[in-house]
Amino acid sequence: MKQLRIAIESTTLANGLKVVIAPDTTAPVVTVGVYYKIGFRLEPQGRSGFAHLFEHMMFQGSANAPKMQHIKLINSSGGVLNGSTHYDVTNYYEAVPSNALERVLWLEADRMRALKVDDENLRNQRDVVKEEVRVNVLNQPYGGFPWLDLPPVAFRNWANSHNFYGDFNDLDATDLADVQAFFKTYYVPNNAVLLMLGDVKPEEGFALAKKLFADIPAGPAPPFADPTEPEQSEERRGNVEEKFGTLPAMAIGYVVPKRRTTDWCAMALLDQALHGGRAGKLYRELVLEKQVAVELDGGIDDIFGYNGPTQMVTRILHKPEYTSEQALAAFDEAIREIQEQGISEDELAQLKVKWQSDYFSLLEGGHGGMPRYGLMHLLACFTLFDNEPQLVNTILDGFLSVKREEILAAAKKYLRDDKRAIVFRVPVAADKKEAA
Amino acid sequence: MATRAVVENSAVPALSAERQVTWPKRQRTRLLNGLEVILVESHTIPKFHGDLYFKSGNASAIERGPGLAEITSAVARTGTTKRASRQIEEDLRRIGADLAISAGSDTSSISFAGLSDYSEPLLGMVNELARDAAFPEAEFERERRQKLEEVKLSRTEPGFLAGERLRKVLFGAHPYSQVSPSEEQVAAYKRDDLVSVYREFYTPENGLLVLVGDFQPDAMLKTAEKVFGAWQGKKPHSSVFAAPANPRGRRVYLVHLPGAVQTQILAGCHAITRKHPDWVKLGLTNSLYGGAFNSRLVMNIREDKGYTYSPRSGVTALRQHGYFSVSAAVRNDVVAASLTEIFYEMDKLRSVPVPEAELADAQNYLSGVFSMGLATQNGLLGQVAVVALNELPDDYLETYRSRVRALTPVDLLETARKYLDSANMQIVVVGDRAQIESQAALFGDVEAFDAQGKRLG
Repeated sequence: MKQLRIAIESTTLANGLKVVIAPDTTAPVVTVGVYYKIGFRLEPQGRSGFAHLFEHMMFQGSANAPKMQHIKLINSSGGVLNGSTHYDVTNYYEAVPSNALERVLWLEADRMRALKVDDENLRNQRDVVKEEVRVNVLNQPYGGFPWLDLPPVAFRNWANSHNFYGDFNDLDATDLADVQAFFKTYYVPNNAVLLMLGDVKPEEGFALAKKLFADIPAGPAPPFADPTEPEQSEERRGNVEEKFGTLPAMAIGYVVPKRRTTDWCAMALLDQALHGGRAGKLYRELVLEKQVAVELDGGIDDIFGYNGPTQMVTRILHKPEYTSEQALAAFDEAIREIQEQGISEDELAQLKVKWQSDYFSLLEGGHGGMPRYGLMHLLACFTLFDNEPQLVNTILDGFLSVKREEILAAAKKYLRDDKRAIVFRVPVAADKKEAA
Repeated sequence: MATRAVVENSAVPALSAERQVTWPKRQRTRLLNGLEVILVESHTIPKFHGDLYFKSGNASAIERGPGLAEITSAVARTGTTKRASRQIEEDLRRIGADLAISAGSDTSSISFAGLSDYSEPLLGMVNELARDAAFPEAEFERERRQKLEEVKLSRTEPGFLAGERLRKVLFGAHPYSQVSPSEEQVAAYKRDDLVSVYREFYTPENGLLVLVGDFQPDAMLKTAEKVFGAWQGKKPHSSVFAAPANPRGRRVYLVHLPGAVQTQILAGCHAITRKHPDWVKLGLTNSLYGGAFNSRLVMNIREDKGYTYSPRSGVTALRQHGYFSVSAAVRNDVVAASLTEIFYEMDKLRSVPVPEAELADAQNYLSGVFSMGLATQNGLLGQVAVVALNELPDDYLETYRSRVRALTPVDLLETARKYLDSANMQIVVVGDRAQIESQAALFGDVEAFDAQGKRLG
């Protein structure tokens, strides 16, 4: 099969900032990203939602680019920008015509050097974040399901189990001192990677990185709380009320083995066998054949982009004439089958072709109009977690060498009731009907 | 922000010389059976992306039932005369492909992506789905039930309810007013209607195949001829619908969603299609108003006032008509304040010429973003398809940037006056009636509905 090899060059500046460049002249566009190795998992206790609120603050002004100038300068250069907060990283990224490269790097350097924000900015973004939570969670059917519902049921360590979008009380309690302390602790060059992808010559990119970022002082190595979970030995269940939706829903999450192990590769293909679209076993059996479920999807979310405990999650909306236990029984039957029979050699071959094809798309993939978002994300995570950006070119090998027996073994070892958590999200109206 | 001038800063690095944007060649052919084929090379990854469009959608089947083209597309995937549902899905997986069949108001389409090494089997599958769908009775019933649940569920989503109501208000008796069937209409779908829609719409004379990716165009064209060459079918009769009345005067349509903790605002008015000579002007005007992060509306109600997370405006171009709309999900207590600013920014663009510097910024933004499509196969596919489907000039991609850059403050003033039709905006608010009705009533007479579309007293 035709292969894809990404040209990658990388270096580390004296202040610890890692710089990764992946040149490609297909289009006169360059994607720039800065990733900091801190996400919502390890945000301060008592400040749930802070990492995300802080991400908003990074657009509110830096020493030489006051509020709105950052956004204005990117847009008026013909580019788009955004940022997002993940479990273990927070990213800031821009895609611009390549003649704006130095300008974008200057802006990123300016806000890495010093954040200049005031109380008014914080109040403003707190209001914006609350509307974000309302539009995505509180005012939507199945809002936050299951990404916010499952962690408090599944995990025992606060790092993994708290409300990542933030309790409004915690958001209200945040002050500027929190903002500056977080910035000083985690937003240091030695806790970050700078990426340039697309229309950039490596030597020019490195020279610009040095010119603009080299004088930003390194900080002490940031302290990271321990996100380890105690070994789980019992099934965990929880309930969440669904205020708007019409269908009963449930989410089942199984703990995923440690990343970059043989088991992890086997689990990834097992995930593909179970959740790989309409060919996936769960969709086929529950939606197409038994017709218990109306919607079903899931998998290991952002498999390359996390650095702590995570789950493979199945999300099911099922027909109201089935009870939750009946729907769960249909799910369990599919899991039991794969634990007993594993998958055929032919199916394994299919899974590997699809995995490789999906991987190519992931690397190329745009995100909100941002070309090569996927490649940027993987390069950043492989650099920050593994110090090995070249993994982008080799990580496929592990998945493509998984054997049938390893998938069967992974199904038996990880798809166990005592390693899972289930959240039922049942419409309020249906509840009342049943009670009546 | 809107109320605070941005300091011009000499420390900001200047832009270096702009690199030329070169659009790849589009190889355009019509096969003997009438199928139009456009091929474009893009070697970003060893894959290719494609769309097989049919130029008929839900609007063309409206007499037989709303959403009929959509349910037809869903069931078409579930079995052919040669392969059962499971076989289709596993054969797609075997060649690493993704595929979706869907329909909108004006088109039905099969979208797909796969590895370049397996282009022939994937095109073979597309051909089979376009010609030999079997519409198994059991699959039809299953899809119908799923659609029924989907329809019920969508009526709990504020964004859907707002969009549905606005389309009804703007398009009245025209088929564009229907974005979703009712439960009763879903229950009334007949398998025979799906089959007849499929036979009429899915024909080579009605088709447009766009392929973008890692291939040699000549070789790919041969493959396409081999795969699709024997397919025959006429262009369907196209229905002509009377132009919808353009609603006059601001009115408010409130969709009551009990317990809503936020209000979805969506306001709109008639505008233009992509073929209209003012299209690029309206695009730039929209980008200044609320179409970009740096736009006036976002700066005002998000970055200055914190009323909302996601304000935006846009122009929706359907084949026969287009409309301009602005939306924001806002805190319940600032519905009136948000609408005030929405109209303030609109009226300002209609009365005060845009400063040259701001215009230049917006021109740069629009022309820069336009070129991003080049960087991915799917982005390029989208742009090439828009040109072809709307029968725009062949050099549309090449000339777009210069047309954007030629516009003046006077052009924008005229465009805003024509199409940001402030006095005739139809305002939809979706939220808890008790909390928002008096605020909304400041902007026009209020008609209230429940989520099912029933008028409330």
